[in-house]
Amino acid sequence: MMELDQDSWWMVGMSFLVALPCALLGVFLILRRMSLVGDAISHSALPGIVVAFAFVGDLSSPWLLVGAALAGLLVTFLIEQIHRHTRIKQDSAIGIAFTSLFALGLILIRVIIGDKVHLHQDMVLEGNLQHVAYAETVGVMGLDVPDSLIPAAVVAAGTVILMIIFYRVLTLSSFDSGLAASFGYKPAVVHYGMMAVISVVVVSAFEAVGAILVIALLILPGATAYLCTHRLKLLLVLSVLHALVSSVMGMYFSVWLNGKESAGVVVAGTGLFVLAWMFGPADGVVIKAVQRRNRKLDEV
Amino acid sequence: MKRDLFKLVAMGLSLLVFNSCGGKGSQNVWESADGFESGAKLKIAATTTMVQDLVKVIGGDDVEIYGVMGEGVDPHSYSSRSSDRQALKSADLVFYNGLHLEETLQKNIELLKTAHRVTSGMEKSELVQPEEKYSAYADPHVWGDPLLWSKTIDVVVDALVAKDAKNGEKYKERGDAYRKELMDLSEWAKGRMREVPAERRILVTSHDAFMYYARAFDFEVKAIDGLAPGDKSGPKKVEELVAFIRERQLKMIFPESAANKKGIEAIAKDAGVAVSDKELYADATGKVGELETVNGETYDLGSYIGMIKHNVNAIVEGLK
Repeated sequence: MMELDQDSWWMVGMSFLVALPCALLGVFLILRRMSLVGDAISHSALPGIVVAFAFVGDLSSPWLLVGAALAGLLVTFLIEQIHRHTRIKQDSAIGIAFTSLFALGLILIRVIIGDKVHLHQDMVLEGNLQHVAYAETVGVMGLDVPDSLIPAAVVAAGTVILMIIFYRVLTLSSFDSGLAASFGYKPAVVHYGMMAVISVVVVSAFEAVGAILVIALLILPGATAYLCTHRLKLLLVLSVLHALVSSVMGMYFSVWLNGKESAGVVVAGTGLFVLAWMFGPADGVVIKAVQRRNRKLDEV
Repeated sequence: MKRDLFKLVAMGLSLLVFNSCGGKGSQNVWESADGFESGAKLKIAATTTMVQDLVKVIGGDDVEIYGVMGEGVDPHSYSSRSSDRQALKSADLVFYNGLHLEETLQKNIELLKTAHRVTSGMEKSELVQPEEKYSAYADPHVWGDPLLWSKTIDVVVDALVAKDAKNGEKYKERGDAYRKELMDLSEWAKGRMREVPAERRILVTSHDAFMYYARAFDFEVKAIDGLAPGDKSGPKKVEELVAFIRERQLKMIFPESAANKKGIEAIAKDAGVAVSDKELYADATGKVGELETVNGETYDLGSYIGMIKHNVNAIVEGLK
């Protein structure tokens, strides 16, 4: 029996705190058919970070995250503008907007920062859960908690609270934006409000998992849950469960295979998705085959 | 509906249990028993292969060493494994190069109370200060100069003695003996370098890791890329380098073991010079136990001394 050491359990905690808000928001992204907006936000963070760095000149400054989140908001604005004012569809608009911003970021690294500081695109693209193991600890309710867990917990709690407050609005506007508008909820306000929260959540996940794997944390839980149920509340519960189980399993994977923790979490999450694909009670391959056979038998 | 949820939870949990039982690898990263106080060996984690060799020489059989970076691993782009974290966190002592060589890992290591930077005894004036465009940090490739590298000995000896006083004399003796070996190495290398005529003492290689070699043994160094293998050069710099090679009529340029050879081969083709069939060890030693014999002298490429001898021999034989 393989056992996880204490640091690994803290990493599980960190992974879950990062995955939890992603999972909740991801459900609504999937319902709104906007999954790739997460991709767009995470990749446009780079120019935001570079510009913020040009102002503060410190790689560890929290302003870098603010810059990244603002850039995330900017890219969603650009996407809206492109697909609203041209004949370009939303998927193409996403492809245009975030790649342009990412490319701009690559150029800005050279122009603004040059070779002086080791600011690499890799620093944004790849995160590392292991930082948790080295972090200084603070006492929380008699436990020595690594301090990097605190901001993650704040973001997770904030997202859950916002989710509860705006649950009705989000649901209504996701399924029927016309009806929501007739109730007085402005679709643009709901859209940008949600994008702002996603920007903050995605950017705060960078240190732990990086800009690429965070996309998996956004989409995999919701997608897995969607193959298991079509009821919204259950969908949210299942996606949180997915986030939890993949965090624990992922850590076992990475200790067992001696690999990278964040990658282990995503691989575990993908494993759960494949299971749901095969055996999901709502849309799984097996259940559908059984239904088809039953229908045939009924016909006979 | 409730049954669906129940099925799913059961599925997830059974998978979890299955997974946790399946793994045989509850790895213990250390071979010797827990608890140094109760008589077990001192457990030491060291980052680069040069630092590992240093601790191996001074610690001898009285310590157990976990090497974080293997041979041929580029410290600039190393990615930490699960066992590396366990070793670094549970070691009695941690030694690292510092000077931003280990990049993000270094920040984590510096938070450990057990950590010692082997370069901490070096004065700022002894370090190669960056050219204007790299104005942030000094050059971290300090092992290039054996005399400068010998300043790491005291850091390691002091840390070992402080932790393990009963073996203190042994550590001090090994440290003093090694200091003498490094001085001899420096003299030997200077002697070999003199075999190359002064106007031909020019080393062209993949990345800027040889500034300290150049300073110690009095030759000029030009690199395709910047301080880390990832700092890519523009086409303009390549043109300048080709022109430089032609102008100075170099015979040979040198690839590195951990860097892509394509860049150096392309430049050699453009400039019409040979590429050495010996790869230089820039950021890591070779494999421990792999022996090389040059001019009747045999050395281990996995050791620091072997690495320097290999590089010096390759450069001298190629350029003289």
